[in-house]
Amino acid sequence: MREVAVIGVGQSMFGKLPEKTVVELGRQAVAAALKDAGLNPRDIQVAYTSRLYDAMVTGQTILKEVGIRGIEMINVENACCGGATAFRGIWKEIADDHYDIGIAIGVESMTTSPIAGKLIPPAKEDLEGQLGMTMPATFALIARRQMWQYGTTIEDFAKLSVKNHHHGSLNPFAQYRKEFTVEEILNSRMICDPITLLECCPNTDGAAAAILCSAAVARRYTAKPIKVIASALLSGDYAYIQQDFTICPVGFKTAKLAYEMAGVGPEDIDVVELHDAFAPEEMLHYEDLGLCPIGEGARLLREKSTWVGGCIPVNPSGGLLALGHPLSASGVRNICEIVWHLRGQAGERQTPNAKIGLAQMLGGLVAGLERQGCVCGIHILAR
Amino acid sequence: MTERIPIREDSFIEGPEGGILLANRCKSCGQVYFPKAVFCLTCFNEEMQESKLSRRGKLYSYTIGRMPASHFQPPYAIGYVDMPEGVRIFAPLKMMEDKPFSIGMDMEVVIEKLWQEGDKEVIGYKFKPSDTSSFEFSRGG
Repeated sequence: MREVAVIGVGQSMFGKLPEKTVVELGRQAVAAALKDAGLNPRDIQVAYTSRLYDAMVTGQTILKEVGIRGIEMINVENACCGGATAFRGIWKEIADDHYDIGIAIGVESMTTSPIAGKLIPPAKEDLEGQLGMTMPATFALIARRQMWQYGTTIEDFAKLSVKNHHHGSLNPFAQYRKEFTVEEILNSRMICDPITLLECCPNTDGAAAAILCSAAVARRYTAKPIKVIASALLSGDYAYIQQDFTICPVGFKTAKLAYEMAGVGPEDIDVVELHDAFAPEEMLHYEDLGLCPIGEGARLLREKSTWVGGCIPVNPSGGLLALGHPLSASGVRNICEIVWHLRGQAGERQTPNAKIGLAQMLGGLVAGLERQGCVCGIHILAR
Repeated sequence: MTERIPIREDSFIEGPEGGILLANRCKSCGQVYFPKAVFCLTCFNEEMQESKLSRRGKLYSYTIGRMPASHFQPPYAIGYVDMPEGVRIFAPLKMMEDKPFSIGMDMEVVIEKLWQEGDKEVIGYKFKPSDTSSFEFSRGG
């Protein structure tokens, strides 16, 4: 297997941008990544593009706008994990020696999708979806168990959102660059008890792109390539094996696989971007990523360890809560963020001297499969 | 009379004592499934036996939805109920003013109209806080 590096990253603005088409958002991200890498569009040999809503040959449609055509293009869907899946697809193409240079794209226009302004439901025929299950309900039900089992409080959930909105205020790409207080978050509209509006990711439009190549080719373009030292993607197990819904089995298994592949442990990670679609969720993933023992996610937050400036900053971008969450774009976007930290280009939110970073994505709500999500993707990058 | 259609065929019956959920059990390894599994997802054995679940279980978690879901207008309650047979069921919950939800409380099955679809009533299962506590078991954390 060949060593693979990231040599270019880019993202569009994130926000409610219904006037911007998916093609325009994607074009912005791809153009930024090409410029960042110093590549000619003709150098790209393979493309994976992820999109969830109303997708049809999205990659071809975007890439023709930047002069890329005639190459192998694959379009993928994997719920919130789609972007991570596209990135992994390109990683495999290069690691397995099929191509030398490829681009991963994630794009979504949530404001023009069929679910704009609604709670994200499971697939139409899903039994639990018909019975009232939604994405925030899933995490509200888990949040109540976190409170019951571990003594996590509604103030903890609000503080998590305070943190990520503070981080968002430092990120020029973020949909929300506004700070909020615990009181403002707790007093925002209740969505599903105990989760309030400001503890839910917003509807967001946006795109991100990453250019990968073999380590040998990377040296032609940059003296400082960012190495992909782990790529892991797994699907979840049946829900009936999951006795404790506050524990995310697929998150644990994917993290274990990624750490083993990278030859590092959670203690070696300098910065993390993860799936924080709802405030209570981020604390669960501290645990499955091994940043703290089970049940101690809230303690890690209270100690301010996961704030920018803390010992293990989590979601310095603002995360899905403040930066925004165009579903299929987020899994590529959070890899872009890690790359910027490893290069020392993350501006006010920079993690000092970051050497190793981890990007995690989780998604997919299906009756009968484990509750936090049925697919998890993790990439570990190093400089 | 309005036609009543079940949300899922063969998933419940209405007996004289009230609603009963129909699960099935693997004849080989004993794993219980609700809704019913076509074959055993644990050991792949194809011989399955119908199993009527107890009418009561314990509330594992709950939430009150404050935004519309596919068929429900807010506020609506939903939750998971742990059954003594070892299955955890997601279902709408009936809110009762004198019995606020709390984790671990006793719940019982009721069969009710869930929503109207044209001239048809879609019926299904819900859980409501139970009047009597008649069993003890523990599961999970």
